[in-house]
Amino acid sequence: MPKIGVYVCHCGLNIAGVVDVEKATEYAKGLPDVVVAKHYTYMCSGPGQRMIQKDIRGNKLDRIVIATCSPRMHEETFRKAIAEAGLNPYLVEIVNLREHVSWPHAHEPQQATEKAKALIRMGVARVRLLESLEKHRVSVERSVLVVGGGIAGIQASLDLANAGFKVCLVEKAPSIGGRMAQLDKTFPTLDCSACILTPKMVDVGKHPNITLVTNGEVLDVKGFVGNYEVSVAKRPRFVDETRCVGCELCTQVCPVKVPDGFNEGMSQTRAISIYSSHAVPKVAIVDPRCCLRLKTKRKEVCGKCAQVCEAKAIDFEQQPETLQLKVGGIIIAVGSEVFDASQMPETGYRRFPNVISSIEFERISDTAGPTGGKILSPKSGQPPKSIVFVQCVGSRDRRFHEYCCRIGCMVSLKQAILAREKMGQGVSIYVCYNDVRSFGKGYEEFYRRARDLDINFVAGIPSDVRGSPDGSLYFDVFERGTNKLLEMHAGLVVLANGLVPNSDLSRINELFHASRSADGFLLEAHPKLRPLESSTAGIFLAGACQGPKDIPDTVAQASGAAAKAIDLLLSGEIELEPLKAIVDNDLCSGCRVCESLCPFVAIEMKRDGEALRAEVIEVMCQGCGLCSAACPTGAVRIQQYESKQVLAQVRTACVGAMAGGG
Amino acid sequence: MSIIDLMSMAKPNLASRERILAKLRGRDLVNCFQCIKCTSGCTALKLLELKPHEIEKLVNLGFVDELSSSDIIWTCVTCLKCVQRCPQKASPYHVIIALRNLAVEREAKVPEEFMKAVSRVLETGLAETFQDVVSRKMETFNRKSLKLPMVYAPKESFQTVFLKALEER
Repeated sequence: MPKIGVYVCHCGLNIAGVVDVEKATEYAKGLPDVVVAKHYTYMCSGPGQRMIQKDIRGNKLDRIVIATCSPRMHEETFRKAIAEAGLNPYLVEIVNLREHVSWPHAHEPQQATEKAKALIRMGVARVRLLESLEKHRVSVERSVLVVGGGIAGIQASLDLANAGFKVCLVEKAPSIGGRMAQLDKTFPTLDCSACILTPKMVDVGKHPNITLVTNGEVLDVKGFVGNYEVSVAKRPRFVDETRCVGCELCTQVCPVKVPDGFNEGMSQTRAISIYSSHAVPKVAIVDPRCCLRLKTKRKEVCGKCAQVCEAKAIDFEQQPETLQLKVGGIIIAVGSEVFDASQMPETGYRRFPNVISSIEFERISDTAGPTGGKILSPKSGQPPKSIVFVQCVGSRDRRFHEYCCRIGCMVSLKQAILAREKMGQGVSIYVCYNDVRSFGKGYEEFYRRARDLDINFVAGIPSDVRGSPDGSLYFDVFERGTNKLLEMHAGLVVLANGLVPNSDLSRINELFHASRSADGFLLEAHPKLRPLESSTAGIFLAGACQGPKDIPDTVAQASGAAAKAIDLLLSGEIELEPLKAIVDNDLCSGCRVCESLCPFVAIEMKRDGEALRAEVIEVMCQGCGLCSAACPTGAVRIQQYESKQVLAQVRTACVGAMAGGG
Repeated sequence: MSIIDLMSMAKPNLASRERILAKLRGRDLVNCFQCIKCTSGCTALKLLELKPHEIEKLVNLGFVDELSSSDIIWTCVTCLKCVQRCPQKASPYHVIIALRNLAVEREAKVPEEFMKAVSRVLETGLAETFQDVVSRKMETFNRKSLKLPMVYAPKESFQTVFLKALEER
């Protein structure tokens, strides 16, 4: 006969405020084989756990039911606690009285108590049938794949590489650096973005533990935590990376002009070019959509770059390569994109050349940018006499993105300060704001610095921006402080575009099984307690792919994700949950239904004499139960969720309902 | 706890606020975060001093009775810019229409032109009556001289339906 202990948690008033915990405990005492039933304020606390451990030792309990919050919250806590007391950790059953009872039934305490009793009764019925299980240990690859080479991916790669792990960093652009490389200065310290980023980029390029794949793409991911098999494609550059010295002679002779993506299309580069002045690797790349030779595929066409290249680096025959990697963990750091304001016609973006996005302003302000760092109106090429910054474009807007972009206010403040510093008192600068959110360390001081510099803050957002034929812009703003309608004239309007989920995220979602939240960004495993992990084991998140972020937060999260990956891989082996499918060979008819259904490719068919038998690859199996539900002969079982265990619960639920007059 | 508008000594009437919310068939009004985009672009602001953001806030705070009996709600020219551009879908236009309906229900003073327009629709089926046009050569034309088809007064059934719709609101 089992000896069962039942423990009912108050969870402060979360449960006890609705469910009558004393009645529930009394009820549990009357259930068959229950030796001890107790209730306590916080079962998960030290005293709560010690109470259970003491009873296990004192009363020789061999099965435990804990009626508390969701098993997702504390199942692991209680398993550890009962293991310390000498019981197999899988002999505990969690009954969810919080998410399943007190929270949804807050206004019907009486029925809630009845439901709590029923769930406890079902838990007791199930727990007696549970079996002892052991965790599996598997070895792990001590290497990590980092997807995305922006500041998040760079920071994570360097942290991992410095800790002695092998890293493969895959970036889709021809150079690493990402969005941060496009910025002029960074808030709140006005550090030059290139000055603090470029050394890190160079470190990545040189680090012996980092394999850098630029112009690359992840094609396929197989395997499971600790043992992922990844294939990475390296698209052809048509330039031999080992030979090119980055002299840019080829760019000088190339006759084909193309818009420069790094400068947001505001200047032109050539069909063969180096991505940016700080590019890592500093190797030229040919744009196959524009290059005359590659477009026509004829050997006699052009080829000027190849003639002039002294290093003989140009190779029009270069083919895509595929790399096969084995990694233990994966860090996703693909970043975000900038909201396209042309979706909001009232901003005038793309209709008036003097309305620009915040990232375009960064390129104008950057000395390496299209204007050599001079702030000029795109239409006239003259310095504007007044600049207006407009906040909250595409964010905090239920038509587009409901969330706050977390950077717009600070970006506008920074750009306003830059404009004042570069242009002196000859320019009027206004910021049309909604709320100025200067929440970070040193940010409020930065806001004051902007006011010190005679930047005018206008509390109100314009309804629409209008343009005159000479390129100047004007609009009305109703100002909250003065209660007056102001007419504003501007030579340049800079929008504070929000950040939006990367368009690659649907592909990332498919490849890595990383789920997305309602706002479209990648979903963390827990918003507060597990912000660095995805819901798939071994896949970590860093930077703006998880939600809009500024640079300090991105770097912090990237280092955190790297630390999480180290935590996973350091010991060289990990423990896997034993809640897996097992096949009864005598019952298996070899029909292959399970094989076709398994989403994790964890079932293999093995020949056993004449017959076929299903076999579960334990490390791949996630215990989802599809196979077990579909098996026509009942040969596949899921440990801890076997039919007899689940049916005992169902039976008890029905019997109780009938006894209760149902 | 409650608030009082010290300028007019008005007190909020939460029951009236609920009536407006019910007429809106959604609670988007409460989402208004006063970005003032609506007022910045309001067509009726410059001449008639209509401030949609103020109406949103007043209704939210419960000062509905003052608004429903005021002239200001009748100045909206229904250009719908605020509907299209409101980032919180709080749409001042719909609030103003709800306030107008409340005013009619309460038999508050409705500007004469609005009442005229209603009776015109009832009698002729048209919001505006036909007018003669004058060409560049200063000749006057009407529908008959332009050989346009005659427009007949609406049938009685239309009037019944129209009156019923007005009552239902």
